[in-house]
Amino acid sequence: MSRESSVIIGAGPAGLTAAYELGKRGVTSTVLEASDQVGGISKTVNYRGYRFDIGGHRFFSKVPLINELWHEILGEEFLLRPRISRIYYNQHFFDYPLKPLNALAGLGPLESFLIGLSYIKAKFFHIHDEKTFEQWVSNRFGYRLYNIFFKTYTEKVWGIPCHEISADWAAQRIKNLSLKQAVRNALFGAKQGMDGSTLTSLIEQFHYPRFGPGLMWERCRSLIESQGSRTVQGVKVERIRHRQGRVDCVSGWSASGEQLEYDGRHFVSTMPLRELVHALDPLPPEEVFKAAQALRYRDYLTVVLVIDRESVFPDNWLYVHSPEVKLGRIQNYKNWSPYMVPDPSRTSLGLEYFLWDKDEEWTWSQERLIELGIRECAQIGLIEPREVKDGTVVRMEKAYPVYDQTYQESVATIRRYLETFSNLQTIGRNGLHRYNNQDHSMLTGVYAAGNILGERHDVWSVNTEKEYHEEERVAKSSAGDRLVPTRVSVSVGEAIEEPEDKVIEIAFAKIDPLALGVAVGVVSGLGIFMASAILLLRGGTVVGPTLSLLANYLFGFEVTWTGAVMGLFEGGMLGFAVGALAAGLRNWALKAYAKIVRWRGEREDRRHLLDKM
Amino acid sequence: MNSQSKQTDEISRTLARIKADALAVVCAVIGGVGLFAMTAWLVIKDGQQAGQHLQLLSNYFVGYSVTWPGAFVGLVYGAMTGGAVGWAIGRIYNRVVNVRQR
Repeated sequence: MSRESSVIIGAGPAGLTAAYELGKRGVTSTVLEASDQVGGISKTVNYRGYRFDIGGHRFFSKVPLINELWHEILGEEFLLRPRISRIYYNQHFFDYPLKPLNALAGLGPLESFLIGLSYIKAKFFHIHDEKTFEQWVSNRFGYRLYNIFFKTYTEKVWGIPCHEISADWAAQRIKNLSLKQAVRNALFGAKQGMDGSTLTSLIEQFHYPRFGPGLMWERCRSLIESQGSRTVQGVKVERIRHRQGRVDCVSGWSASGEQLEYDGRHFVSTMPLRELVHALDPLPPEEVFKAAQALRYRDYLTVVLVIDRESVFPDNWLYVHSPEVKLGRIQNYKNWSPYMVPDPSRTSLGLEYFLWDKDEEWTWSQERLIELGIRECAQIGLIEPREVKDGTVVRMEKAYPVYDQTYQESVATIRRYLETFSNLQTIGRNGLHRYNNQDHSMLTGVYAAGNILGERHDVWSVNTEKEYHEEERVAKSSAGDRLVPTRVSVSVGEAIEEPEDKVIEIAFAKIDPLALGVAVGVVSGLGIFMASAILLLRGGTVVGPTLSLLANYLFGFEVTWTGAVMGLFEGGMLGFAVGALAAGLRNWALKAYAKIVRWRGEREDRRHLLDKM
Repeated sequence: MNSQSKQTDEISRTLARIKADALAVVCAVIGGVGLFAMTAWLVIKDGQQAGQHLQLLSNYFVGYSVTWPGAFVGLVYGAMTGGAVGWAIGRIYNRVVNVRQR
């Protein structure tokens, strides 16, 4: 039995980041990894010199701290790559994000017209209580466009009908922009990338490690080991022993069949919540166990084909919406980085299949899956079967936590129970059952490490509605801390956020109609009274014949002392109306402007919804 | 309330304050330059006999007339009156907002 201060289960981005952050502060840990490679879903597999990802991982984060970490771990290994992607549907390739003329040409004028009608219908007959993904997308794009460009692909990825997928899932990926964000984006839209270059949008270009994201995690493991921590691979944790609200130790089996046990003071788990709950010894209450049983995961399988052709297509990846083939997406790794292939005259393609582990295809042999891949790739006209020179298959279990209609309740039940442990934290994509990107998972690792060292962070708040507040808090609280040495790659938006927000707040502040009405009313009433009084005091044969013309507007007004008092009140009321109306119109115009700004921002965000699946 | 309307209401969370001095300057410039321009326009258009109605301002602005020298006098009076109106509106507005937010 070995004793360590912290035991981290899982050497994916969250677990390794937690260990790295602890190591930076002089705390060693042991990271237990079930597979023979670190990086989790962000690993890069090397097959005879051909490198490929488990999905594509673009490196872009709104969290300055994560940009810092990437830079810190991987140094100058990042390439800035152009992004090209298309959708294959109904024997046509459509640019993605969709471009109106290109889509029109592919769909034809009649279909485009019908899509337009469907969009208008969605705007007028909005579904108010959006519960499902189908309702969420239809409300924003119209049912017809949803049916063509979102339904089939989403169902391929998630394996369940769109009307069973929670609307939360889409809402989490496409958050409603706050006004401040939208104005900030409009005014200071350009973001600064890791190398200080200006990125106009993640849609156009992105950063990517020269040899794939796995390089980052291999480096991270080396750094952790140089800090005195260790990573043990091939250990599958199967039991987590606890008593009186504290975890005592974890145990599992090594690849050689040896039983291993690790105890420590702090435990961090990135295991899928379902497995974590099942591993607890003693088992949790029945309701927690049942909640864990209810959680579902989508599995992922990639068939890699080595093609004897220098260039197969120009895209980084293709979305395959056509229902006649099973594959959901095709990655062209060479276009992510030319260093991903050992032979420039060849191309490696990753054909991505999204499955349940109970699906028949999941159990197919490698040869049979390669055959399927070749057949489907040829079917959509990308390759000739004879061009395929080699191939392999990689399976990734529980790649995607499923957001079905019951997951929220299940996760809440499990969370309530896990929070009773004083020395156990659960982080990462599967650890939180949240569809986090790599940066979100890393942030949960940073938080977990901070909590071990006495800070107070809520790991569950990452990638939620509260995200921006959390990001701001990290950025601010870390200033001067050695976690964030200097702002090498702070985004423009983050750097100027505080004064900028104040400016936006002042610029968009509401004018109080009542107050402006009173102010203008008082001044107007007194003005008429004084104008009349001056003329009355000056006297003369006919007093104020011209000013008396105001009687056309002010009932009963005349240049007399009585009339002056009438003018005071009536002028006051008229002034009040003018002031209040002016303030109301100004506020209304500002609100309309704010809505337009945010609508534009959200539209831009929705344009790349598929990227977020 | 859904998140959309919450966000739209972001602009109504803060009540604007008016800088009375700034509003006074703005109104002074508008009042002074406005009266100068109106006077000058009538003098240029119709000569020294013009502006019988505008001339009535002399009831309030001693020394004002629709002439070139009167235009400069009007500039000063217009600025003073405009400034006073702007300052008063700003101060009264802020006072009412403060009372309402207590």
